[in-house]
Formats: sequence, C-alpha cells, structure tokens
Amino acid sequence: MLLTPEIVPGLVAAGASARVAASVAPRFRVGDRVIVRNLNPTTHTRLPRYVRGRFGVIEKDYGVFAFPDTHAHGLGEKPQHCYSVRFTARELWGPAASERDTLLADLFDDYMDPA
Amino acid sequence: MNGIHDLGGMHGLGPIIREENEPVFHAPWEGRAFGLFAATFVFAGYTVDEFRHEIEKMGHAEYLEHSYYEHWLVAFEQVLEKRGFVTAEERAKRMAELEKGVH
Amino acid sequence: MPTHAKEADPALRVKVLESILTEKGLIDPKALDALVDTFEHKIGPRNGARVVAKAWVDPAYRQRLLTDGTAAIKELGYSGLQGEDMVVLENTDEVHNMVVCTLCSCYPWPTLGLPPVWYKSAPYRARVVADPRGVLAEFGVTIPETTEVRVWDTTAELRYLVLPKRPEGTDGLSEEQLAALVTRDSMIGVGVLAAAA
Repeated sequence: MLLTPEIVPGLVAAGASARVAASVAPRFRVGDRVIVRNLNPTTHTRLPRYVRGRFGVIEKDYGVFAFPDTHAHGLGEKPQHCYSVRFTARELWGPAASERDTLLADLFDDYMDPA
Repeated sequence: MNGIHDLGGMHGLGPIIREENEPVFHAPWEGRAFGLFAATFVFAGYTVDEFRHEIEKMGHAEYLEHSYYEHWLVAFEQVLEKRGFVTAEERAKRMAELEKGVH
Repeated sequence: MPTHAKEADPALRVKVLESILTEKGLIDPKALDALVDTFEHKIGPRNGARVVAKAWVDPAYRQRLLTDGTAAIKELGYSGLQGEDMVVLENTDEVHNMVVCTLCSCYPWPTLGLPPVWYKSAPYRARVVADPRGVLAEFGVTIPETTEVRVWDTTAELRYLVLPKRPEGTDGLSEEQLAALVTRDSMIGVGVLAAAA
C-alpha cells in the first residue's frame, strides 16, 4: 500500500493496536504473587533485566496482545495476556530504596511463574 | 537480548539534559525520518517489534552516541534491506550521487 | 559487534532512503510532509491538557477516563498511533505516578505528541526506575515521604498519561483556563502544578 497524504489523517487517528481478538485464558489473576522468569534470550524481548528473578503482584490484566518475543522474528503473534505487575522498590533495588515506593511493568504470561 | 537499550538501573550515564522550548524536530531530516516510519510501515510489512530489535542490535557505543532518529535510520536501512526493498549497494550508489549533487 | 551507522551525515542518509523509495513508487513525499505537519502543529501536549482539565471539572468524565482511558480520550477526538491502548494514572496525596520507557521511548503520542529528547535519553531511562525521587529532585519536584512514588515502565503496548493534581486556588477557573495551566511534564509525572497566584 502507498501512503498518500489523503490517508495520513485516518492512519494517525486509527493507529495499529497490538491487541489480538483471540480468546486466550489468562495464567494469572489480579492479586496473584508471581516470580519473573530469569530469561536471557539473544533475540527480542520486552522483559527488562532489572525485573528478572524478582517477585511481584499482578495489579491488572490488560487483555490479550501479540507477544513481541515471537512477533519480532516472524514467528507468529502467540497471543497472550499482558498484565501490569507491581514490584516494591526494595524488591528491585534492595534495602537502600524507599520502603513506600513501587514500580509497575507490563509483562506477558510467558515472562512469569506463580510464586 | 541483553543489549545496551535495556537501560533500567544503570549508573554513570550523566545528568538528564533538558532543553527549554524544545522543537518537535531539531532539523528537517528528523521530520523526514519520522515520516518514513508510517510510510515504510504500510508497504514493507514489518512489525514494531522487529523495528525495535534492529535498534537493539546496534553496537553499544554507537547506540549511546547516536540520537533517537539516527537509531530509526539504522532500523529503516536494515528492515528495508532484509525485505529486498533497498539494498546496501543502492544506498551507497545514491549516497555517492547525492554527494556529487546529481539528484 | 555489528556497526550499522556509517559516518555519513544522517540528513544525507535519510535523503538516500527517501529518494530511492520515492523513485520506486513506494512512498509519496507529500505523505511525509503531512505527517511532519500533523506532529508539528496538530498533535501535542495541549491535547492532553484538555483531557486533564475536563477530568478536573467533570467528575463523570474523570471516572470514565480512569476506567477506560482510550475511550474517554477519544471522546475529545484524540486517538490512534501510539495511543491505541491508553491508561490514565491519577496523582493524589497518597500516590505520585511517573512514566518511563526503559527499553526504548514509548510515549502517548495522541495526548502528548512526540517525546522530548530527555525522555528518550539514556540518563532518564536508566535512573528513573531505581532513583525516582532523585530524578524528581533534578526536575525541581519534591514528593513527601508519606506519598508513594509509583514508576510505570512502559514495557509493552499500553501507553500512560498522568492526571496531575489540580492546583489549589483554581476553583473559579474555566475548563479552558485550567487547560492552560497543565504542563507536559505534569502529564509524564516529572512535574507538579503550582498553586494559582
């Protein structure tokens, strides 16, 4: 398809959501305690190093999205749930971090195990 | 991949430098590079994830020394070459022509 | 270590791609003009400011915004690229939210436009997750120890907009006047809004 100036406003306003209209069972529910898998792929991932191996809690289930780790490499959408996962600052950064502060990352089913 | 792009928690990268009244684009070429994203996306059939991965594969020093839209340029060049739309030879030839003022 | 970027001037490299793709009929340079114009003149943080001001004056809208950010933002005409799935985070006395993308530079384009250079820079992305209060101090913001600082790392395809606290002393202001007070930084969570004079 050729992007012409006439199409630009519609494209900008519509975007391209990564949501997938597939019925996939979630592996976790809000409030579940999880441990992030210690994955070190040499390929694409959206799992930052600083949360690997850490304990968190499922804050929200955002629904089903394409899985970037496969999608980036032409290996299909592998649709799965993406969650907001809450970590305490101390869990991530140790005792020097604030006792009160937290961090939330958006993580996929395949990045976590029940804890 | 455990690349330089995965920056969370790293030390020693210096102060956060802010710019008063920052323009959307700092030079006309940045705007053209920005526009190329949507324009190439619709015909080349790559995914945002693939685009990001091309940037992640950059050399670490190179990643830190180059600006955001220069990262995009690397991704465009790689994705378009992989898909056979623009080869490295075509780019080199056109670069030489532009430097000579042919186009 | 692969090295892709040549020593060539980026302006020239962009021109190389644009001219080859145009010649092949794969892109229309006028579409690039339209995209540049859209993001230079039509889409930017004033959009987000209107969303925030409406949420301050209209409790039902605020509720919709916090429940389904994407739909509520679309009510004002803002939607699309890099805002397909929006989440709005409300700052209160108890919680101060701030947003980063440590892995690249994800940012809610329909409401805030394109991100400033500092947001995309290595120092911000590296430090804000581990030392949010230190980063806030650099931006001139102090959050009380009794308030929880919540950092949101945009690691997937959700995009976040912070709904800042309404400044004190603004009771009599119109929605339009309120929108004029809202800064981009307050909608990223690195700024707070000062009480009206």
